[in-house]
Amino acid sequence: MAQPLVKKDDDQEEEEYSPFLGIEKGAVLQEARVFNDPQLDARRCSQVITKLLYLLNQGDTFTKIEATEVFFAVTKLFQSKDTSLRRMVYLIIKELSPSADEVIIVTSSLMKDMNSKTDMYRANAIRVLSRITDGTLLTQIERYLKQAIVDKNPVVASAALVSGIHLLQTNPEIVKRWSNEVQEAVQSRAALVQFHALALLHQIRQNDRLAVSKLVTSLTKGSVRSPLAQCLLVRYTSQVIRESGTNSQTGDRPFFDYLEACLRHKADMVIIEAARAITELNGVTSRELTPAITVLQLFLSSSKPVLRFAAIRTLNKISNFMSDIADEFKIVVVEAIRSLCLKFPLKHRALMNFLSNILREEGGFEYKKAIIDSIVILIRDIPEAKETGLFHLCEFIEDCEFTYLSTQILHFLGNEGPKTSDPSKYIRYIYNRVILENATVRAAAVSTLAKFGSLVESLKPRIFVLLRRCLFDSDDEVRDRATLFLNVLESDGTVGESVKDVKNFLFGALDVPLVNLETSLQSYEPSEEPFNISSVSKEVKPQPLTEKKIQGKKPSGFGVSSNGVTQSVDTYEKLLSSFPEFSGFGPLFKSSSPIELTEAETEYAVNVVKHIYSGHIVFQYNCTNTISEQLLENVTVIVDASEAEEFAKVASKPLKQLPYESPGQIFVAFEKPDGLPATGRFSNLLKFEVKEVDPASGEVEEEGVEDEYQLEDFEVVAADYMLRAPVLNFKKCLG
Amino acid sequence: MNRRMEEMLRHVEEPRGLHSEKCGRPCMDGWILLRPTSSSTMGFWEAFLNWLRSLFFKQELELSLIGLNNAGKTSLVNVIAGDGYSEDMIHTVGFNMRKVVKGNITFKLWDIGGQPRFRSMWERYCRSVSAIVYVVDAADHESLPTARTELHDILIKQSLRRIPLLVLGNKIDKPEALSKAAFAEQMDLKSIKGRKVYCFMISCKDATNIDVVIDWFIKH
Repeated sequence: MAQPLVKKDDDQEEEEYSPFLGIEKGAVLQEARVFNDPQLDARRCSQVITKLLYLLNQGDTFTKIEATEVFFAVTKLFQSKDTSLRRMVYLIIKELSPSADEVIIVTSSLMKDMNSKTDMYRANAIRVLSRITDGTLLTQIERYLKQAIVDKNPVVASAALVSGIHLLQTNPEIVKRWSNEVQEAVQSRAALVQFHALALLHQIRQNDRLAVSKLVTSLTKGSVRSPLAQCLLVRYTSQVIRESGTNSQTGDRPFFDYLEACLRHKADMVIIEAARAITELNGVTSRELTPAITVLQLFLSSSKPVLRFAAIRTLNKISNFMSDIADEFKIVVVEAIRSLCLKFPLKHRALMNFLSNILREEGGFEYKKAIIDSIVILIRDIPEAKETGLFHLCEFIEDCEFTYLSTQILHFLGNEGPKTSDPSKYIRYIYNRVILENATVRAAAVSTLAKFGSLVESLKPRIFVLLRRCLFDSDDEVRDRATLFLNVLESDGTVGESVKDVKNFLFGALDVPLVNLETSLQSYEPSEEPFNISSVSKEVKPQPLTEKKIQGKKPSGFGVSSNGVTQSVDTYEKLLSSFPEFSGFGPLFKSSSPIELTEAETEYAVNVVKHIYSGHIVFQYNCTNTISEQLLENVTVIVDASEAEEFAKVASKPLKQLPYESPGQIFVAFEKPDGLPATGRFSNLLKFEVKEVDPASGEVEEEGVEDEYQLEDFEVVAADYMLRAPVLNFKKCLG
Repeated sequence: MNRRMEEMLRHVEEPRGLHSEKCGRPCMDGWILLRPTSSSTMGFWEAFLNWLRSLFFKQELELSLIGLNNAGKTSLVNVIAGDGYSEDMIHTVGFNMRKVVKGNITFKLWDIGGQPRFRSMWERYCRSVSAIVYVVDAADHESLPTARTELHDILIKQSLRRIPLLVLGNKIDKPEALSKAAFAEQMDLKSIKGRKVYCFMISCKDATNIDVVIDWFIKH
């Protein structure tokens, strides 16, 4: 006995989920001896039965002897008047299900309980009794069961009705005699009774087509209140419709009006059930289908995941549904699927299949893009879905009419494919692009091949062969890329590039903003001096805030990094490390989102981004001058840190010029206690020299005037020192 | 051996005599006669102490009633519990549990069905009881041999060793009922060893000797 006890303790230390964790059958059977105590402890007995039930439900089995011992011990508990213990006794008798010749011993006690004054006893005794009874005994208790069906107490009535459903399998001729009582119960006010009564009544009559039809006819006129019963009725109705066929004269279906009316029912489940019944009708016409699809679409945007799921499942069944609705709706469907999948990662297989199926169907660019984005996000967030997801993407680019999507997928494939268990299987898909597609896609495919070659040593020789073939491509860009990558990959240090440089070159993101590069290239005039990429400004022009918000809502799928936060940190880090003043601060931990320091539509718009380092903090003030008649020079921000005692100013990087509508950045760096989440309040004053500008000619006056502009305060708070981590499974994190 | 039998018979004799003498109100009189301590001779202090004891020492006795079907077990329980006698009884399918309070003693009565299918389960409900009560229909001559075998079969069970046994010959209101001596003979009570054995002749219908049975319960 000692060993299981020790084990129990160990388990409890590791995880504290279930109070029953680690209980042993042997120990519980020992505990079951309390049932035989002369002085019963009802509470204790209940606990032991709970443990026994737990074991049984966990799949533990009792030997014949064990079950018999426990059963007879349990029967002695009928002496206790404790209602909750009695309830447990009923349960364990049902679960133990001892052999018929033994279980009969409780019959008398149950019959007594069945006529007791306590409703709980009555209901449960009926349920247990109907489980253990045989034909002869049933005739003895039939009278009581019939009474119970029309009992005032809904729990008792339901118990009798459910028993009837079970007994119908073994003793149909007896249960069929209860029709009158059951019919009375269908009219019950209690929802559950109505539901069970309807189910039983239908089962009694199920082999009589006419009787079922009559039942449906009478009930569809609206006496069913319980939503569950209503769902049943919908099912029975569709059964009747299936069997009767359409009315050949008018083309109308019998009872279709009823189904359609159910689409406007109060209860969601009735609506779903009715919609499903309609979609499953034989030869359903689009006129009949439309209202059902409309309600299902409404459910797709419901806040309840269950409804979304049910709607999707139903819609899934309609093979032609996705081609019926407009692309905008399809995108809604796809987004619903994506959020569903993220919420229930274990279901990714089914949902990924759904995505790949609709991916094969016809659809516009936005729709396909939504699907691709969803798959990419799922691959990123659910590691198990990676291989299948990549495979679906590969399949898609085999027959993809959108250059943009092809190149995006190829890029993504280049980053993710080499890290899978069998990278070689993707090569065929990629090289097919080189053979079959337009120049842009071909070029992207060449880059992807190179990435595989660089990361997967075993594939290198084959990649070389493929890249060499690309040297004969008709397109300049493709040939250039192939040549470049061949050289890079073959270098082996001869060109002075290390393996790390190669990887940086292939996988690193461009460290200058594309917009800036584009402007610089446009202004570049052919000359002796080659274009130098380092001359391109690395300063990020802040986009208008509204645009950023939209971006935040729809995270783009094609990120190199694993989540959106670090991606923006990357951009900021590149920018900040380009200034010598901040280069010694170490790695950037986090950058906040911009905080507005001015009202909207003021003369000067300023917001601040807080960059957190281990021992420093850098404030990036993004300033915009909205006055066309002014040019600001020597712009600085005077930061008053008197309410932030732990911070000490170490550096400041003012802005030389701030012309009209051309944003600029000012940086102020502070030192703070290393590694500590110091907090404080900062007040800010914008100082500058104003020069008048003639908006027509653009001429600037020589003389400027000193001026200042009060900005709002902001705070450094504890939240600035925290990163957001996406957590799909809390258990895994704890583990 | 002989001495014990004599003792047993004396036990049986006494109530029989009572019954024949005071046919009109056997219950009440028998009660008082058999329990002289509860009469007025008991001092006030003793009564007070008894009351105190009853507060702290509520006694609980567990008894199993077994015997062939139609022997009158359930009727006996009903009569003991004060529910009265009823002709219209059905077979006990399984068992009945009744708690009867007499004074400061609570009796837990396990009344087990007597049909053949339940006989193998008797033993389970007889373990660790204070006494086994075996009820026999003393007017059913045909079933007596079966009753005897079933009784002797169950008594050899190891788990029931030393548990006192009370054999009740029921239905003595019927003319064909056996006399106590013949009954004891038929049941072969003499051969039972290793436990205390008592035998009363009762009638649930006429409530004959029921008081004696209750009294016996309390004493043991």
